Amino acid sequence: MEVTVGASNKKPQFQVLVKTHAGEIYAYLWRMLQNEQDTEDCLQESFLKAFLAYDRLDGSANHRAWLYRIAGNTASTRLRARLRTGVLLLEDLPDSDPPVEQQALNQIQLDEVRNAIEALPYKQRESIILKNYQHLSYEEIGIILDTTVDGARANVYQGMKKLRAQFENGDSLAVPNFAEGSSEVS
Amino acid sequence: MTDKIEERLDALYGAPPPGSEALERLHRKVQQWQEAIWYDALRDSAVGPLLVAVSDQGVVAVEFGTNEAGFVRELEARYGVTVLRSMDQVREAMSQILQYLSGDRRTFELDVDLRGSTEFQRKVLESAGAVPPGFVATYGEIAARIGQPQSARAVGQALARNPIPIIVPCHRVVAVNGSLTGYSGAGGIETKAHLLRLEGATIA
Repeated sequence: MEVTVGASNKKPQFQVLVKTHAGEIYAYLWRMLQNEQDTEDCLQESFLKAFLAYDRLDGSANHRAWLYRIAGNTASTRLRARLRTGVLLLEDLPDSDPPVEQQALNQIQLDEVRNAIEALPYKQRESIILKNYQHLSYEEIGIILDTTVDGARANVYQGMKKLRAQFENGDSLAVPNFAEGSSEVS
Repeated sequence: MTDKIEERLDALYGAPPPGSEALERLHRKVQQWQEAIWYDALRDSAVGPLLVAVSDQGVVAVEFGTNEAGFVRELEARYGVTVLRSMDQVREAMSQILQYLSGDRRTFELDVDLRGSTEFQRKVLESAGAVPPGFVATYGEIAARIGQPQSARAVGQALARNPIPIIVPCHRVVAVNGSLTGYSGAGGIETKAHLLRLEGATIA
């Protein structure tokens, strides 16, 4: 018979992938988006894209980096849409008590740093979060952002340098910028 | 007031994300996707528009026509799972069907999911699937092959309910006098004749 019954089953492997990485991808999206609803939407959207593309994924590929890449692109699209529709992050902040970590700083200081990091070229901001808070290696960041290990390192370095300079200059009213800036290393 | 940028960033990003309900909802979604049936529409083919659906076990349905809403409703009712549209999931089946209809492919290399059919229907469909392209079998012959030689009429009914026409070649089963009785596809018998001619079968 030319048609066979039964199938290659991608169920178990994909479930393992979700179990292993959903938590960190969720944290990553939360850091990028700073809004619960957007984070959850993008989490589901990212894993749906991953699910649909999973069959075509090269078995030797770095699955973790691949997921981060999908999530990063999804978050980027969401941020652009948010800019277009004029929704500001500050309006999205929950009214409930901030976590203990945030209580150490007052709201103005938090807004300042949020504005400053949002003003960075997207890849620099993403690199800083990936390196310092998701604890990925420069090699993995390189894969995610489609750049070299040195490029990934330079993105973190340049981003941090800019943030420091901005605070030294007292310039904290920067407007979020998602244009691929010329200073961005890719 | 702290001036260290690292401390400010920690205040912003150091905190864990809110609640775990979002993760539980994701796990439920993934479960849904894995059980889901995915479909896509082919606007134009040599035999008219087609709707094709696959599960994670294989091709579930091929339907002639454009009634997408009806197709989805019927699949949902029949299989009790979420039915979602995705070009990705159906790509392989679609491309093999197109190759077949343009004469570039003779046999399908696809899994089929016949869980919606009865044991008898499944036997009939599998037996029809064993008829090679370019050949035909009669209803009686199929009945004999599945060990129920008296059931030619029931074989005809099972083939009429073939959920996966074209891929499961019910068009290769004809009446004992060689005439093309009945085909559920748009264009009916003409479509059946078209498929048989495409395969090089001599038809009465």
